[in-house]
Amino acid sequence: MLTVKNLTKTYNGSKRSLEMVTFTVRPGEMTAIIGPSGAGKTTILRSINQLIPDDSGEIFLDDQDIRQLNKQGLRRVRHRIGMIFQNYNLVDQLTAIENVLHGRLGAKSALAGMLSLYSREEKQEALDLLGEMGLADFAYKRCSDLSGGQKQRVGIARALMQHPKIILCDEPIASLDPKSTTLVMDILKKLTTTQDISILINLHQVDIAKTYADHIVGINQGLVVFDNDAAALSDEAIQEIYA
Amino acid sequence: MLQKQTTSTRFFRTKLTKALALVAGIIVLYIVAALTLGYDLTSFGAISQGFAWLFHYFMPTGNVLQFLGAIVTQIFRTFLIAVCATTVASVFAIVLALVGAKNAGLIPVIGIFIKGLASFLRNIPLAAWALILVFSFKQNELTGFLALFFMSLGFLTRAFIETIEDYGTDTIKALEATGATYPQIVCQAILPALAVPLCEWVLYMIENNIRDAVLVGLITGSGIGFLFDLYFKSLRYNAAGLVVLGVVVLVIAWEILSIQLKKRIEHHAKD
Ligand SMILES: Nc1ncnc2c1ncn2[C@@H]1O[C@H](COP(=O)(O)OP(=O)(O)OP(=O)(O)O)[C@@H](O)[C@H]1O
Ligand SMILES: [Mg+2]
Repeated sequence: MLTVKNLTKTYNGSKRSLEMVTFTVRPGEMTAIIGPSGAGKTTILRSINQLIPDDSGEIFLDDQDIRQLNKQGLRRVRHRIGMIFQNYNLVDQLTAIENVLHGRLGAKSALAGMLSLYSREEKQEALDLLGEMGLADFAYKRCSDLSGGQKQRVGIARALMQHPKIILCDEPIASLDPKSTTLVMDILKKLTTTQDISILINLHQVDIAKTYADHIVGINQGLVVFDNDAAALSDEAIQEIYA
Repeated sequence: MLQKQTTSTRFFRTKLTKALALVAGIIVLYIVAALTLGYDLTSFGAISQGFAWLFHYFMPTGNVLQFLGAIVTQIFRTFLIAVCATTVASVFAIVLALVGAKNAGLIPVIGIFIKGLASFLRNIPLAAWALILVFSFKQNELTGFLALFFMSLGFLTRAFIETIEDYGTDTIKALEATGATYPQIVCQAILPALAVPLCEWVLYMIENNIRDAVLVGLITGSGIGFLFDLYFKSLRYNAAGLVVLGVVVLVIAWEILSIQLKKRIEHHAKD
């Protein structure tokens, strides 16, 4: 469903960050990208929804090359790609439900989005999603008052509000305690099995990647050095990825 | 142990020496400047005399109450000019800042242009603004308004840009990733997140502009500044003193009010 082909990226004035990166995310699977710090994991994720411009390559989401889209087309595609972050990146001064409703902005007219003119159905859906995340009682709490694990679940609800085909996760558990980590990973895993959403997740912890992911892509200095089923990740392969 | 102690002794002694050297330097600077200007160092003695004179003449005494009506009216008008100039300037400033802030990710050249313009506006002294504008707009309240407006526009644009840039790109990128447009991101993230600091800048600017409005009035011949000039030149010092008192009362009243407003804003933001 998502295919990245020969993606190459060099930041201004530094050495090449991504070199001919190629891999595929299959529908309903969790694909983990692992690799040492600075390998290019974040760069890959941000190139996929074009938050940063890349140099060359192809990024196909269901036969559509994201890199060839105009502004409107890109906006539509972004709306179908959820994204969650290590630092949650919510608007802390707003309530949980307001943050979840941000997931609708990509589908609304500019003005309706600016003025928060959400329909009754949209509001109900946001509440339901918060309920599914175990946050029913926190809908009208300011996000700055939530714990890290709660914030990340608001972030997941925001992504789900987009009705995404795929969710990109950039180290979503790096700031969480073990209990919240399990909670968040279980939620993400369940999305792949029950809702057929694909997940592409950057992870630092190899054991978590092995436990949860169906498919693992190993990156080292911008190169793909491993691309196979999670079960096939041997100790030698890990050594090579983190070399 | 002993070694350590001597090191620390030396460290603090060096610090003390440096501080003394700094104080000595400042004294020397003063003496050099004073000698060059030909100040009589004993002239400090005349200061108390000066104040005595000031108090004697500027005390709002006698039949000063007859001026009270005119003064209160003009102080109120001056206050309104300061408020108008600041609020209008802040509307323009927020638009410029939202376009010019680096983390907005709009066209960088425009950002540089806006920052340059803001610095330019801000760095022309207020008195110069007033004098320049008097030429083109003559002596009236509009001139005073414009002088305060341009000055505030420059100041607030810079302040707003800094506030917005401090917010960083994380949340902005997150909303961009949902497919939100920049105007939507402004209304849904930047403004709600920064409402408190932005409002505080506006309150601070109004406070400054109340004070400056007096000076601008003096130059442009309008408002309370004009009244002060009039009383002063016609030797009605006690009335001029009442004007000063009135301005001080206004500034203090505004300070008290704006502290209350800030508390409300912060409290509201926490709910
Ligand atoms: N904005 C930037 N400007 C210049 N170089 C950058 C920028 N962002 C990342 N890089 C460089 O690109 C390379 C890949 O960075 P990236 O953030 O993708 O790594 P990462 O695998 O996500 O690392 P981490 O695990 O620490 O998050 C690094 O060498 C980094 O220094
Ligand atoms: Mg990273």
